[in-house]
This record gives sequence, structure tokens and C-alpha cells, in this order.
Amino acid sequence: MSAETTLGGSKWFDVLKRVPPWVSHRASAVWFLPLAASLCTLPSFASGYAMTLAVEVMIAGVFASGINLLTGYTGLVSLGQAMFLGLGGYGIAIGTALLGWPLWVSAPVTLVAVAAIAAAIGAICTRTRGVEFLLITLAFSQMFYGAAIKLRWTNGSDGMSGIPRPDLSLLGVNADSPSTFYYYVLAVAVFALVLLWRIVNSPFGSILIGIRENERRMMAMGYAVANYKIGSFALAAMVCAVAGILQSQYTYFVNPDSMSWQASGEGVLMVIIGGANVILGPFVGAAVFVVVKQALSLITDEYHLFFGIFFMLVVAFFRGGVLGAINTLIGKRR
Amino acid sequence: MQLFLVQLLNGVQLSMLVFLLAVGLTLIFGLMNILNLAHGAFFTMGAYFGLVVANKTGSFWLALLIGPLLPFVAGFALQFFVLQPLAQRGRSTHLDLALLTFGLLFATAGAVEYIYGSAFHSIATPDFLKGRVALLGIEYPLYRLFIITVGVAIALALVLVIDRTLVGAKLRAGVDNREMVTALGININVLFALVFGFGSALAGFAGVVSAPVMSVYSNMGIGIVVTTFVVVVVGGLGNLKGSFYASLIVGMTDTFAQAFLPEAELFAIYALLIVVMIFRPQGLFGAAGRIA
Repeated sequence: MSAETTLGGSKWFDVLKRVPPWVSHRASAVWFLPLAASLCTLPSFASGYAMTLAVEVMIAGVFASGINLLTGYTGLVSLGQAMFLGLGGYGIAIGTALLGWPLWVSAPVTLVAVAAIAAAIGAICTRTRGVEFLLITLAFSQMFYGAAIKLRWTNGSDGMSGIPRPDLSLLGVNADSPSTFYYYVLAVAVFALVLLWRIVNSPFGSILIGIRENERRMMAMGYAVANYKIGSFALAAMVCAVAGILQSQYTYFVNPDSMSWQASGEGVLMVIIGGANVILGPFVGAAVFVVVKQALSLITDEYHLFFGIFFMLVVAFFRGGVLGAINTLIGKRR
Repeated sequence: MQLFLVQLLNGVQLSMLVFLLAVGLTLIFGLMNILNLAHGAFFTMGAYFGLVVANKTGSFWLALLIGPLLPFVAGFALQFFVLQPLAQRGRSTHLDLALLTFGLLFATAGAVEYIYGSAFHSIATPDFLKGRVALLGIEYPLYRLFIITVGVAIALALVLVIDRTLVGAKLRAGVDNREMVTALGININVLFALVFGFGSALAGFAGVVSAPVMSVYSNMGIGIVVTTFVVVVVGGLGNLKGSFYASLIVGMTDTFAQAFLPEAELFAIYALLIVVMIFRPQGLFGAAGRIA
């Protein structure tokens, strides 16, 4: 049994609490280096379709990483993170398409605004825990979803189009070309990943993990648990908003569906598939999810039905996620 | 004044409909500690099964009687064959089970869409309840009054059953101390599954009842279940009487916002929820909050 089951933390978040130890081993460089190399050279040998998938996986992976910080590391399971995905997309759309600001102004303003909104929402949501937290985050996201459908100046349910990709002419490349956009997304994803890795391994991250394992003890130790939860909530929201910005640049538009609770559910699903609380887990989960979704769309129109069944099976039988399952296999062989 | 009265009655009618869902949800949570996100699925299931029965027999009353049976069986089976074993084997915890029911919600909506398509259906109002009645100077649809009556009757019946009968005593005991109830020789698994089925049947019943006034379509459960969540959080999760009062508060807020403040229609109840959460995170009628 892995170490954390003996820590005596609450049993609530079992699905989200598997750390395959080998992931943190130095040996991981053995498989990490070839992966990094192939990611960097992907456009030179992959087809356009594979590149599209890779971009979608990375965007979904950034989104799921944001959820993972909140859910996997802090132990707060939210079903409303898509509201920040949508707010990121809408923020950039309002900044660039509506107000005519350049991207390098819109993006930071969007992120700061999302952080402020998330801090306010987080201050309210983190007053509850467990299923109540899940419900209230869901309610908040439904509120934004409703607002996005209703608001006239963001085109209601039609959404907003004309969101520009970054102007990279300074580097002599055009972000509208798939391979350039791929590198742009790759760079942002790697940056987000490194940042999250630093956060998780910082004292701040240790406190978040402490809250997940035993909140009462962290309180007794004198940590302002409430503030750390709000901080985690705001940071997670910013990461999700980054994914939202990428998403809207990728498709050149944003609509209220990006805030639906199905989108939130998809994010949580990716985290569970990949194995929560592992830094690369969300990306693995995103890869599995995007590929399965693509495969499903080839054979059937009934996406909801299979999404639901897939979701149930993963939650019921696939607790440790892909990384956890591989870990168990390796463990058995030893 | 007349408009106000009509909206007041509409509000009560919506409240009663939401109450039928909220009471099952909160009963299941209070007893089994399972947040059943799929509660909306049973609402849809009941409505469609009622629709099938109504189309076959042409009788609304048969639909009302038989419609909730399918959600009852499905709810019983879900708890007895899926959730209970998963919880017992320690394979999954409460939050996992909530996520599992989340998947079920979408699977049901998808299955319904697969079988019936995404068209809108409706069950005809029975002749006996057609028309309007004069009431305090307004004309109000008889069927909506019927919904209000049914809701109040079920609320009263539930209070009687839970406060005054042996089954109710077992349920209350189960909420307070599960181990003790088991030790007294009560098969708690069957009792829980029955309650789960009953709660689901109430949701299905609400589905049939709402069919003549609201449309029957594949995603109908997803919309109403979020309102129900707001109700149970405002009322305090697991609090039966709280869910009744909270249904009234939320139903009224929603109806009056739609009537008098259309811009706020989609956020009024969430604004209410936020205010409640700021001052009483455990819900208006909930017990004192737990610390960590």
C-alpha cells in the first residue's frame, strides 16, 4: 500500500489520492527525454490531423492541470472549473474583439480579472467542503453560463468570434499556421506545467497537500487554512483561464458551451483518468480523453451516452488513473 | 395585484415541483451520505415512462401511477447493486459515488436521446383538470392548482410517515446512528435501497406531474436538477423540513425574478445561494457547521 493511506486523512477523496512513486523517481528521465524530443519535433513528421489532436490534448491538459491543483493537491473537488475556462475565453474575446486591445494587454488583464473573480468566488465556496463545495461551485458555473447565454453584448448563446492568435511576426512566423500554433501551445503548456510543478513543490504546495490530508491538523498548526484554500482556488482558476485563452485562440471563437457543467465534468474526468495529484497526470488523462472522444465521434453520434458510461466506468473501476494502473502492473511484476 | 397573485401561485407551483425532487435528494443524502447527482435522470425517466404509458393507454392517471415505477426500480437497483457494493468494499468513497452519478446523469440523457430523439413531447392534461377556476378575482389554471395540492399533500404525508410511523422511526434512527440500527436487526441495505428507490420514484412522479405544463425532452432533468441542488444547499443538506421551506424560497425567487426582473432571471437563485452561503454556509435550516 502506498504511504498516504496510512496517514489517516479523510477517506473522502480516495479516487484522487494515488501517487505512483515511480513518477517522482529520477528514472522518469528515461521515458521523459524521448517524449520531450518527439513533442518538439512533432510537426516535422506528424500529419495535420495528429497535430490538431496534439494541440487539443495540450489545451485540455492545461485545463485539467488547473483542476488538479485544486482537486488533486488541495483536495477540493469542484464541478465548476469550466467557468474559468469560459471566463478566460470571454476575457480575451472582450479585450481583443470588443475593446480592440492588443493581445499582450488583453491576456494579462484577463488573467488578473479571473484571479480577482476567482478569489471572491473562492472565498464563498471554500466556506463549505465535500459535496457542498461540489454543489456550490456547480451553481456558480451555472450562473456564469446563464449570464453568458443572456448577455447581449457578448452575442448570447452564439458566442463571440474573431479572436486573434498571437502576432509572432517578430519571430518571422505566422501563428495561423498549424505548426507555429502547435509550438505556441506547447510553450505555454510547458510553462504552465513548470510553474505548477514549482508551486506544488514549494512550501505553499506542501500546505495545500497538508490541507488535503488533514485540514484540522493544519489549522491546529496555525496555518490560515481558509486563505490557502482561496489562494489555491484562484491559482487553479488562472491556469484554467490560460487553457480558455488557448482554446479560444485555437478555434478563433468562444461560446457559452465552454462554461457548461459538462465541460467541468470532462476536466474532472481527465484528472481521474490520468491519476490525480501527479503533475503529468492531467496531460495523460487529457490524451486518453481526447483520443477516446475522437474515436467515439467516428463510430457514433450518441456522445452523451458514451461520455456518461465512460465516466461511470472510470470512476468505479479505474481509480488510480492510467499512471496508477501502470504502477500497479509494475508493482505486480516485481 | 392580479399579476402578483398569479405569480405567487406560479411560484408555489414551481416550488412544489422542485420540492418533490429536493426531498428525495436530501433524504438520500441524509441517510446514505450519497449525493445523487443523477436525481435529474430519474425525473426524465419518470416523465418518459409516463409519456409511453399515456400514449398507450390514453390515461393521464395511469401514467401518473405507473410512470414512477421505472425510476423506483432503477433507483433501487442503482443503490443495491452499484453504489452500496462499491461503498461497502471501500472501493469508492462518497465523493466518487457522487461523480459516478454525475456520469449516470449524462448517460441517461444520452440514452433517452438515442431512443426518443431530441424532440419535445407533452402529456395531455386530463379532461377533469382542464380549464381555469376563478380565485380571488383571477382565473387560474386548474391543473397548476392540482400540482400545488399534490405537493402539499406529499409533504404532509412525508412528515406523518417520518414522524409518526415505525418506518419513519427506523429512518430517523438510520440517520443518527447507522451501526446501532444495524445492530438492532434491521436490514439497513434493503431499507436504504428502498429509500433510494422511493426518492427516485418521487423525482419520476414530479416528471409525470410536470409533463402537461412543461415539455418532456432529453435534457429536461439536467436543467431542473441544478435548481434542486440550490434548494438542498439553501435548506441544509439532509434536512427534510428545510428542503420544503427552501423549495418555497427558491421557487418564489425564481418565479418573481422571471416575472418582474427578467434580466436577473438566470442568476436570481444563485445570488440567493451566494447570500445564504456568506451568512450560513451550513444552509438556512442546517445544523451547526462542522469544523474540518
